[in-house]
Amino acid sequence: MEPNVYTPQLAKIVQTKDEVVGARAIKTFRAEFVNSARFDYRCGQCAMLSVFGKGEAMISISSSPLIKEYMQFSILRTGRVTAALHDLEAGDFIGVRGPYGNGFPIDEWRGKNLVFIGGGIGLAPLWSVVQTALLRRNEFGTLSLIYGARTAKDIVFKDDLADLKSQMPVHLSIDVAEPEWNEFVGFVPTNVLEKKPSPANAIAITCGPPIMIKFVIKNLKDLKFEDEQIYTTVENKMKCGIGKCGRCNIGFHYVCKDGPVYSWAELKKLPQEY
Amino acid sequence: MEKTLAKKSFPQWIKKLGSWSVYIPRKDKEGRWNYVEADGGEVGLEVLQTTLPPKKILFPQREVFLEFAMTPAGGRETLEVKEVLPDVKPTVIIGARPCEARAAWLLDKVFGGEFRDVYYWKRRDQTSLVGFACTTPPSENCFCTSVEGSPHSEEGLDLLLTDLGDKYYVQSLSPKGEKLISAAKDLFEEPKPEVKKQVKAAHAESEKKIKRQLKDARPIAEKLKGMFGSPLWDEESMSCLRCGICTYLCPSCHCFDINDEIENSSPLRGQRVRTWDTCQFPDFTMHSSGHNPRPDKAARLRQRLLHKFQYFVQVYDKFMCVGCGRCITLCPVGIDIIKVLDKVRENGA
Repeated sequence: MEPNVYTPQLAKIVQTKDEVVGARAIKTFRAEFVNSARFDYRCGQCAMLSVFGKGEAMISISSSPLIKEYMQFSILRTGRVTAALHDLEAGDFIGVRGPYGNGFPIDEWRGKNLVFIGGGIGLAPLWSVVQTALLRRNEFGTLSLIYGARTAKDIVFKDDLADLKSQMPVHLSIDVAEPEWNEFVGFVPTNVLEKKPSPANAIAITCGPPIMIKFVIKNLKDLKFEDEQIYTTVENKMKCGIGKCGRCNIGFHYVCKDGPVYSWAELKKLPQEY
Repeated sequence: MEKTLAKKSFPQWIKKLGSWSVYIPRKDKEGRWNYVEADGGEVGLEVLQTTLPPKKILFPQREVFLEFAMTPAGGRETLEVKEVLPDVKPTVIIGARPCEARAAWLLDKVFGGEFRDVYYWKRRDQTSLVGFACTTPPSENCFCTSVEGSPHSEEGLDLLLTDLGDKYYVQSLSPKGEKLISAAKDLFEEPKPEVKKQVKAAHAESEKKIKRQLKDARPIAEKLKGMFGSPLWDEESMSCLRCGICTYLCPSCHCFDINDEIENSSPLRGQRVRTWDTCQFPDFTMHSSGHNPRPDKAARLRQRLLHKFQYFVQVYDKFMCVGCGRCITLCPVGIDIIKVLDKVRENGA
């Protein structure tokens, strides 16, 4: 029988973790396919998650493809489907179809120094690359992470970030000063200028809110990064995930199929429709 | 294969297609032409242009993708998800305009490729298109000849019929077409030698009758690449009511939505459905954050025109417009795609 691209596979949530609570709640899910269905994916690819009765939402896969036992998603509670996802607990079922999109070209980055720059929930798509780079540690040069959130409470993967500090420099920031905070205070793009990552043999990968990405790219350019050395992800409203429903395009590119990963050299040629 | 079919034999031929679903244009009570399933009644072939193109037969306005239900089993609820696929019997669309068949040929590209859309192809593979060359343009806004089509174009068609007074000249364009002829072999005759000449003349004549013209569509496609930020989109979209008619009634527009519809919330029971959607609605592209990459009418008119005349050309080297003129004729405020593109040609970057 011909495969049906719209039919999700059932997956069981095996673990959940509240990363951030309150108005901008973020929850991390680990899910395993039932019926031994599974798919191989690349860092930076996405999956269309279903909560039956509520609908579907496109979510980036934050686990490394080298980990075969589960898939991890970190989800900001923001719309109908993500709110329904937040109501789920271990043992509940979701639908998963995909993987979708191009993913990061990490094999092309062998031998390079990787600079990860994230803001807010934007750490989720980066996390897949960070984990993969650590698992393939000897293939890459230096690794470093610059990450920020609005407040200390909004920082995701808090425990993991503490562990990560033993493996690579991690530069955190929050937007406004808080009594207990000992690291940088200010926006992520400013922290990039402050920490001055070297463009020599480097690739900078940035994910976060559009306004952050815009200024991170500007500041990386000031630090003499070339357009080809800067990678980012774009998100747009999606329904099909396969370049047919017509809503996520920027110019002739469908973000779901031809993106979401773009080098700045590619993205700057496309109209600003994201 | 080429044949002729006497007009008086036409109803008999339709009758011979007994085991097929036969769709024909018919006038409804409000006087609108539409494709309906034939029930042995009259076939209205004098139709000029149906309001809805036959697209709806290949790509219905609403279709169920899957059914889901929570069922109590052994004290614990279990989720059941059942894929629903269309069960389509052999179907023939009689009376398609060549432009409408050409639109199906464009939709084949969209729904094909790396991710084949099984819902579309279940229908498409079973459906034959029998078209009539437009000896008279079916609409005052026809402009197929400007977008690489013609009133007798063959793309997407299985049979092309040309009216020769008391008979039709029948060109078979695919194995599906041959099957339709062989269903009533005795009714079809070998064409007389002079017929070919008559057909050629009729086709040439039909092209001359088309009143509207979009000059230089290919150069316009090139020009559009530099016009994303043009003030033209603001000016031309000012009167738009955001009704979406231009896209819903377009034979090549294919944008859709996927949603879950609930019949019962506890225990949960419902369906996932695909419905037509349109780039002309504000929430089409709106993120859940409230951010909207196409926030105004200007951005949405630009998307409609650029998708048809630039993006599709970049990807498939074809216009995603077949020149049927429906979006012009049926727009309640008179937005005219030809006039807008004329301005691109004359004043564009």
